Amino acid sequence: MLSSFVLDKPSIMERLGDDEEIFSMMVAMFLDDVDNNCAALQAAVQATDAVQLQREAHTIKGLLATFSDDAGADLAFALEKQARAGEVAAGAAQVPALIARVQDVAGVLRRLSGR
Amino acid sequence: MHKVLIIDDSEINLTLIRALVLKLGECEPILFDMPLKALEWCRENAPDLVIVDYMMPEMDGLRFIAEFRQLPGRAEIPVLMITANDQKDVRYEALLGGANDFLTKPIDRLEFSARARNMLALRAGQKSLADRAAYLEEQVDARTKEIRERERELIFRISRAAEFRDPETGAHIQRMAHYSQIIARRMGLDEIRCKLILQAAPMHDVGKIGIPDHILLKPGRLTVEEFDVMKRHAELGHELLKDSGSEIMQTGAEIALTHHEKYDGSGYPNGLAGEAIPLFGRIVAVADVFDALTSERPYKKAWSLEDACRLLEEGRGSHFDPLCVSTFLGAWDEVLEVRQRFRDEAIPLT
Repeated sequence: MLSSFVLDKPSIMERLGDDEEIFSMMVAMFLDDVDNNCAALQAAVQATDAVQLQREAHTIKGLLATFSDDAGADLAFALEKQARAGEVAAGAAQVPALIARVQDVAGVLRRLSGR
Repeated sequence: MHKVLIIDDSEINLTLIRALVLKLGECEPILFDMPLKALEWCRENAPDLVIVDYMMPEMDGLRFIAEFRQLPGRAEIPVLMITANDQKDVRYEALLGGANDFLTKPIDRLEFSARARNMLALRAGQKSLADRAAYLEEQVDARTKEIRERERELIFRISRAAEFRDPETGAHIQRMAHYSQIIARRMGLDEIRCKLILQAAPMHDVGKIGIPDHILLKPGRLTVEEFDVMKRHAELGHELLKDSGSEIMQTGAEIALTHHEKYDGSGYPNGLAGEAIPLFGRIVAVADVFDALTSERPYKKAWSLEDACRLLEEGRGSHFDPLCVSTFLGAWDEVLEVRQRFRDEAIPLT
């Protein structure tokens, strides 16, 4: 079980060159897409589609890394590797935890942005 | 304005990279979420920088780069590939497969700006080198054209130098050169040879420069001795031109030497017969005689076209190469057109 997500905004801002405009845009896009991303992940599991599962896990890994969520990105990466190895059933077990993590991050970003 | 092509199936990444590209200044981002559509665009457009993600549906970044590099003129365009931190093997493969550099996700603005600027500087260098090469090529072409033009003018002046000592006119050399070209073209010679005979034929009588005035300008009939001296103009012309580095002059030398040879071997200076006479010599013989006959001179009236044609027919196989005669007479409309175009009026020197 991962500890709750804590936004490390200074590290993100350092990466984005202290550009508040870009940060706000990233947050907005993350929040806009979060439900779709989670749904796509679940759909890949239901379809036992290893390639799709790998791709969705990869996308989520990138999104979480964008917000400096290393623990969440590691979880997504573990799933990506399982899917690449064709272990869809084992990967499926990880999906609820990953979705919970994504929603956790989304909750923090929502509170921050007031959306 | 640099065209920066960005290919990533993730909308958030596309937006982020687009924003970062705009921050670079003087850049126009072009976005694609599908690599195949991006490749299609690249067939018609040349970006200045390509930023491509590794993991995408349809085709991954490595395949995209391979296909992009295959497109004409796209081998040198800088490509940055975006990979995740954990994809070290992919980065190596990308660098070996034609990527110039890579970016790791999550993207760091400082790193992005430095690498993208480096790639754009590389592209600017390539373009300026290409522009410089094109400029130099243009300059060389212009100079070459100028030199050719001077060569052409020089040949024309040399040809006219002989005429100043001879009653023949500038129009005569133009006509006989064009008649020669008509025959060459109708005989199926390639365009380079056809142009060569046009440029070289005017020098056929340049050796007359070396003939004493009392013989060259004698109004009456030449004695046998005088005619022997007159005949030397063929060899004199050859001597004058033969060692030139110019292909036109060398051809002029050959024509000067052989245009008075006759097909049956009774001509001069070497008494060559048949195909031992170089083709250009055989062609110019027909063109020169026809024009000399049909032109008015201080010492003779112009022959009628019919009489001149009859003489060519009668000389077929004895004086002239039969094929050259038939070819000339078979191109009668063109002959008349040249006759009309270059009438005996003053022809300017340039």
